[in-house]
Amino acid sequence: MNASQFLLFAVGGLANAAYLFIVAAGLSLVFGALRVINMAHGSLYMIAAFVTVVVANSLGAALGFWGGLVAAVLVAGAVGALIEVVVLRRVYRQEHLVQLLGTYALTLIIAGAVRLIFGAQYRTMKAPDVLTGSVHLGGHSYAVYSFFMIGAAIAIAAGVYLMLYRTALGRNIRAAVSDPDLLSASGVNVALLFTTVFVIGAGLAALGGVIVAPSQAVGLTMDTDILVLAFAISVIGGLGSIVGSVVGALIVGETISFGLANSYTNQFALAFIFIIMAAVLTLRPWGLFGVAEQ
Amino acid sequence: MRSVLRISRDARVRWTLAGLLIVLVLLIPPLAGLYEQSNPDVSSRFYLFLGTEALVLALWAVSYNLMLGYAGMVSFAHAAYYGVGAYTVALLFQDFHLPVLIGLLLAPITAAVFGLVTGLVALRAVRLYFSLLTLAISQLLYSIAFNAYGFTGGDNGIHGIEIPDALTDYTTMYYFVGAVVGVCLVLMFVLTRAPFGAALMAIKENRERARSIGINVRAYELAVYTIAATFAGVAGGLFAIYQQQAFPEMMYWTANAQPVVVALLGGTGAFLGPAFGAFVYTELSNLLSKDFPNQFDVLLGAIVLGVVLVVPGGLASLPNLFTSLRSRFRAEPEPATVESSGESIERADLAKVVRIEAIQADPTPVERGEPLLVVQGLSRSFGGLRAVQDVDLVVHAGDRHAIIGPNGAGKSTLFNLITGRLKPDAGRVTFAGRDITGKPPHVIARAGIGRAFQITMIFPRLTVIQNLQYAMLAHRGYTARPFGIADRMFRDEAMELLEAVGLDQYAALPAGQLSHGDQRAIELAISLALGSRLVLLDEPTAGMSAFETQKAMELVRRVAQEKRLTLLFCEHDMEVVFGTARTVTVMHLGRVLTEGTPDEVRANPDVQKVYLGQLEEEAVG
Repeated sequence: MNASQFLLFAVGGLANAAYLFIVAAGLSLVFGALRVINMAHGSLYMIAAFVTVVVANSLGAALGFWGGLVAAVLVAGAVGALIEVVVLRRVYRQEHLVQLLGTYALTLIIAGAVRLIFGAQYRTMKAPDVLTGSVHLGGHSYAVYSFFMIGAAIAIAAGVYLMLYRTALGRNIRAAVSDPDLLSASGVNVALLFTTVFVIGAGLAALGGVIVAPSQAVGLTMDTDILVLAFAISVIGGLGSIVGSVVGALIVGETISFGLANSYTNQFALAFIFIIMAAVLTLRPWGLFGVAEQ
Repeated sequence: MRSVLRISRDARVRWTLAGLLIVLVLLIPPLAGLYEQSNPDVSSRFYLFLGTEALVLALWAVSYNLMLGYAGMVSFAHAAYYGVGAYTVALLFQDFHLPVLIGLLLAPITAAVFGLVTGLVALRAVRLYFSLLTLAISQLLYSIAFNAYGFTGGDNGIHGIEIPDALTDYTTMYYFVGAVVGVCLVLMFVLTRAPFGAALMAIKENRERARSIGINVRAYELAVYTIAATFAGVAGGLFAIYQQQAFPEMMYWTANAQPVVVALLGGTGAFLGPAFGAFVYTELSNLLSKDFPNQFDVLLGAIVLGVVLVVPGGLASLPNLFTSLRSRFRAEPEPATVESSGESIERADLAKVVRIEAIQADPTPVERGEPLLVVQGLSRSFGGLRAVQDVDLVVHAGDRHAIIGPNGAGKSTLFNLITGRLKPDAGRVTFAGRDITGKPPHVIARAGIGRAFQITMIFPRLTVIQNLQYAMLAHRGYTARPFGIADRMFRDEAMELLEAVGLDQYAALPAGQLSHGDQRAIELAISLALGSRLVLLDEPTAGMSAFETQKAMELVRRVAQEKRLTLLFCEHDMEVVFGTARTVTVMHLGRVLTEGTPDEVRANPDVQKVYLGQLEEEAVG
């Protein structure tokens, strides 16, 4: 592999890392504040991807993607709010076991519902005109859309950071992460805060789904495919840590990209990720940036 | 916390369920035959095939429930071991032309090997992270099966497995599978009733407490994970035989929905709950997939969600639910209940306590007055906070040694360092001449250090007597036993101790239902039941009334004296301290301030200053 090929795969890895980070950050944020691992996170991502494709293809090339973005975030946010209010509120105080099984049930329900509504066939869409085309560099061509994904991820990372550290909402979220009981004693409406956080998490899953929609075929296995990767990122980076999500997404995104570089390894990219996970857990069972559970 | 997914000990429900199920299983072939005779357009073969499917599913789900219902572990890799079992049969047939029955004998072995190796990795992590790791393992094994065309046939799978002629008859196949499943279920049933099963339930209830009574939590989790994988391997092998094929989708992580749904539906709280669920599920999916093929997933999810949120006990809990509903409408008198008001300790009979042989520190090689526990230069920091700094402490055999100090002095941290709950940054802990620095809690517990926690640490959903029995089992090293009936072991000893401490009338109640004072009494009883040479009591009387306190400490003092136990305790109540201790160590800001007899300590001006300082702070704050 020469330098220009290396760059090609590295950029591909960054584009992977971009959408993976957006999704994993939502999972991590929800876990940090609510202490619930949301198995249905990938389902929200899948809903958003389907909504984007359908809306984009019906609105046409000029407005389609942006209309899809708005619609997808609204739909996923609404579904997220519904899940939080109807299901999660009943399981916060229960064991991890109940939370895992409850949200796992949601993945089955949503997967079935998506198939009923959208059908089983794969769907594709085009990126908006300004984002199509490619750039030539060192003998290889790079899709403009890859750079858009990377840029969007950086913007979202910055947005999440500002939200957490520069707003009253973010202060409350950070307080909820460290001591939820104290927070409710100080007069904050914790129920509303939790719903808000969950909707933000759902929104991040949705943004991931929207951004991915023009770059790959949208189908029914998206929910589990992304969930496995988002979990891998969380385990490597540490659940509840946004910085961990960035690092984990970079590791996983690049591993997939370079795994595909070789015809012998391309089938086993997931195996490499698993080996990295095992190595990280051997050294730090709570992930690179996570906090040990006492 | 609601009593979710608890292991039901209701014998009546259990045996009714078992009887029903066995009759049902035996009657399916003749019933299917009769049905065929009355409706010539249906084939009995179809129902026999469905029945076989349900039997295999029953085995798979019951093995899953060893983890979920008994040990409280959610694994997403169980389908992978099921797949490994199926591929073992399929590949041995395809590559070596080995008969499927030999493959079936080897399937549990390969599944066990896969389970053990991957379990070692998954159990590096606990609870949530464990679940996430099993998901990754599952996808890894799936991707191997899916992608390794040369070996597993890739996404095509392996088809056309030949079976012995005798098994081509659907009825014979049904009874054959039924016999294999039956043997496996009996083996698993024995295991769950044995001390091994008791250890799993203790772990599910309270990991920390399980460790402190001497259970090696991780080893048991690995054992049950491997055992579950082994039986999943048998189920997978049977699948490959009656379906005559194996394919990668069997191993995809969403395939775990089946055992999960079946276990939840039938009830994780009863051993045969999942088996019962398997038959209900099979029939349900047969009906639904015919009429609502597209809505099936949604319904499946709705069932899981409904069970988790509304009927946590599954179908197995319906008889109980029915009884409670009936009593609500018929205004029958409530079954007699005993109320636990925390006075049990008042009834404690000290003379009885000291006669109990279970509370017998082993004939100590350490002479009275010799150093038993030696702590040297022990330190531990949390971030910038130096909770324990360079602490030296000698506890002499037979002594009653108190540690006092204002809040934040480092007493609880010191206890956690001695019992292995925390690892020290520096220093050494020696117990009876043996270096126990940084050893895991169960090793230290087994070495002879018992512990009562500051917060009540019992097994809330186990009965009061089980709390004691399991502590005795664990401490005497019986929990590795895969046979025998745990609930019948140490029953008399446990009952004797309960009588002595005045808790006998609550013996059959879930410990978590008792009042705070009585739970404290159980906590004390557990730490005494261990027969440890050294007992650490972390604020033993916290939350007790003045009278209970006096009584509890009298009990502790008397037992310690008669049974030659050594006590190390920390306490805020100075009356308790000076009335019980013969040696007092004062800690302040993580260091030892002074040590001496109660009188020396009381007269020490530094000690007075520390406590006065605290009082001033409290007055200001």
